[in-house]
Amino acid sequence: MLGKLLKHEFKATARLLLPIYLVLFVLTIVDRIALSIDFRGALNVIPGFATMAYVISIVTIAVVSLVIIVLRFYKNLMTDEGYLMFTLPVKPSQLINSKLLVSMFWNLVSFLLIIASLLGVFLTRERFGLLKDGIRMVLNEMGKEFGTFNMTLLTIEFIVLVIIALINNILIIYASIAVGQLFNGHKVLGSFAAYIGISTVLQIVVTVALITLGALFHKSFEEISALPQIVFPLTIGFTIIANGLFYWGTNFIFNRKLNLE
Amino acid sequence: MQWELDSERPVYIQLIEQIQAGIISGVFKPGDKLPSVRDLAAEATVNPNTMQKALSELERIGLVYANRTSGRFITSDEGMIAKLKGESAKEQVIDFIERMKLIGFSPEETLALVTDIVRNGKR
Amino acid sequence: MSAILECKSLTKKFTTLTALSNVNLTLERGRIIGLLGPNGSGKTTMIKLINGLLVPTSGTILVDGKAPGTDTKKIVSYLPEKTYLPDWMKISDTIEFFHDFYPDFDSKRANEMLDRLHLDASRRMKTLSKGTKEKVQLILVMSRNADLYCLDEPIGGVDPAARDYILNTIISNYNENATVLISTHLIADIEKVLDEVVFIKDGTVTLHSSVEDIRTKEGKSVDTLFREVFKC
Repeated sequence: MLGKLLKHEFKATARLLLPIYLVLFVLTIVDRIALSIDFRGALNVIPGFATMAYVISIVTIAVVSLVIIVLRFYKNLMTDEGYLMFTLPVKPSQLINSKLLVSMFWNLVSFLLIIASLLGVFLTRERFGLLKDGIRMVLNEMGKEFGTFNMTLLTIEFIVLVIIALINNILIIYASIAVGQLFNGHKVLGSFAAYIGISTVLQIVVTVALITLGALFHKSFEEISALPQIVFPLTIGFTIIANGLFYWGTNFIFNRKLNLE
Repeated sequence: MQWELDSERPVYIQLIEQIQAGIISGVFKPGDKLPSVRDLAAEATVNPNTMQKALSELERIGLVYANRTSGRFITSDEGMIAKLKGESAKEQVIDFIERMKLIGFSPEETLALVTDIVRNGKR
Repeated sequence: MSAILECKSLTKKFTTLTALSNVNLTLERGRIIGLLGPNGSGKTTMIKLINGLLVPTSGTILVDGKAPGTDTKKIVSYLPEKTYLPDWMKISDTIEFFHDFYPDFDSKRANEMLDRLHLDASRRMKTLSKGTKEKVQLILVMSRNADLYCLDEPIGGVDPAARDYILNTIISNYNENATVLISTHLIADIEKVLDEVVFIKDGTVTLHSSVEDIRTKEGKSVDTLFREVFKC
């Protein structure tokens, strides 16, 4: 059943994002051309406009990707549409999973497309050379500091961290919306309040944890090689625990405290 | 067919009466196949179980017969339908005489009035 | 086979009020049953509990012998008071959706009913009037071969022609051995189609009887009895 939920979730979200991706694609080409032509006189404004439209489309993609996380979850599960979704023969956890996976997918795709599009607009042969040299230099320097073993570890940890941080961002929103719907008649307001509350608590916990750890490990922190061995693993562990809590809380509310109007 | 049900009396009795009336007036012809219970129920907007009960009762008195494979039919026995018609006519006349009594006409006066109107047309 | 619905000492409390209090109720299969009570008497709470949208405060509720969950949602077809189909969906999308999630859904039957209404399946939900949306929902819900149909106020606020359409659709489509539970406060419109009635008042069940019994024993219609029981 998760497969079917994913299918319909993709259908519901693709119709919002694919048209914007198409716009980005077109504007990438337009802007690339506009920037490469040497406009004279009044026509000078053309590259300016093209770039502005291009930047707006990138911002739109970033915003829509975020809005999809929030709106699909809220509208599809907490408003009248919730009567349809919560009476399907699926577990509430499967509803959460389908929304989470599809949100992650679109966020990653949007991110990669924006990078690809930026390269498409601004990459020239000489800039490509500069970029390559820059990356090689950074990798070299890091290799010297960490050693090859730690570099591999660091890369893996970094990718894991990006993914679970993305999950973390999404789950905070989900948990906030789930808590917010408990407030009759003030569900949206409740969700915002819950978001602020949860973020604040999370900040406090992180700060306290950092101070404590700093005091415990301050010797080893002085070496940058501590990064892959201590700091990243701790951050990953902590984020996973937080993610587990948010997921569990959202699922608990859906199972026991659902409050559709 | 037009179904008219009031809400005070048991529905199945009213359904029996209405189907009988349908047979008498020729809406249902001798030997006709009846629609399914569910379709009849939907047409009359009544509960299918109630319609079932009414049809079973009609079956019991022989106005309707069920064929195991092909559904329910109105009896082809014209004599029986004629008898039903006769009974229904009689009931209506008795009912009419009763109502005339209520407005002060004796049965004889009613008869005289009926005879007069039938002979000379209504004026 | 167990009863299709069994409630024992079922109680549901919200922070400020008790919506259902100590309800004991058993519904058998193959009946059309009216859940009758004035607004705010607990009808919708009852139906939400059956569908697992609420969890009892105490007592038990069993659908086909099981607590509401994934298994019972497979056999319960629910028509809420809300228009719950997403705006952007075409009618054909909603059919595909039901077909994907409910193995007992009969797409052919749904399409036939849409044809009879001359509704074009490529129209989007947001272009339909509220009444038409409700008809589409009813068609979807009644195109399932469920064991229990829960219809929450299906004829609230519709004109007599639409009411007849709705009742006809229910009668001609429900599964023979299934039970149909119809909640309403408009009794006169619906009592001809009912086998049984359950009266619910201030969160308690005050009467559960067959309609025929009410008419023969009390010599009055369910509507008249209802007006007496719920007199303000």
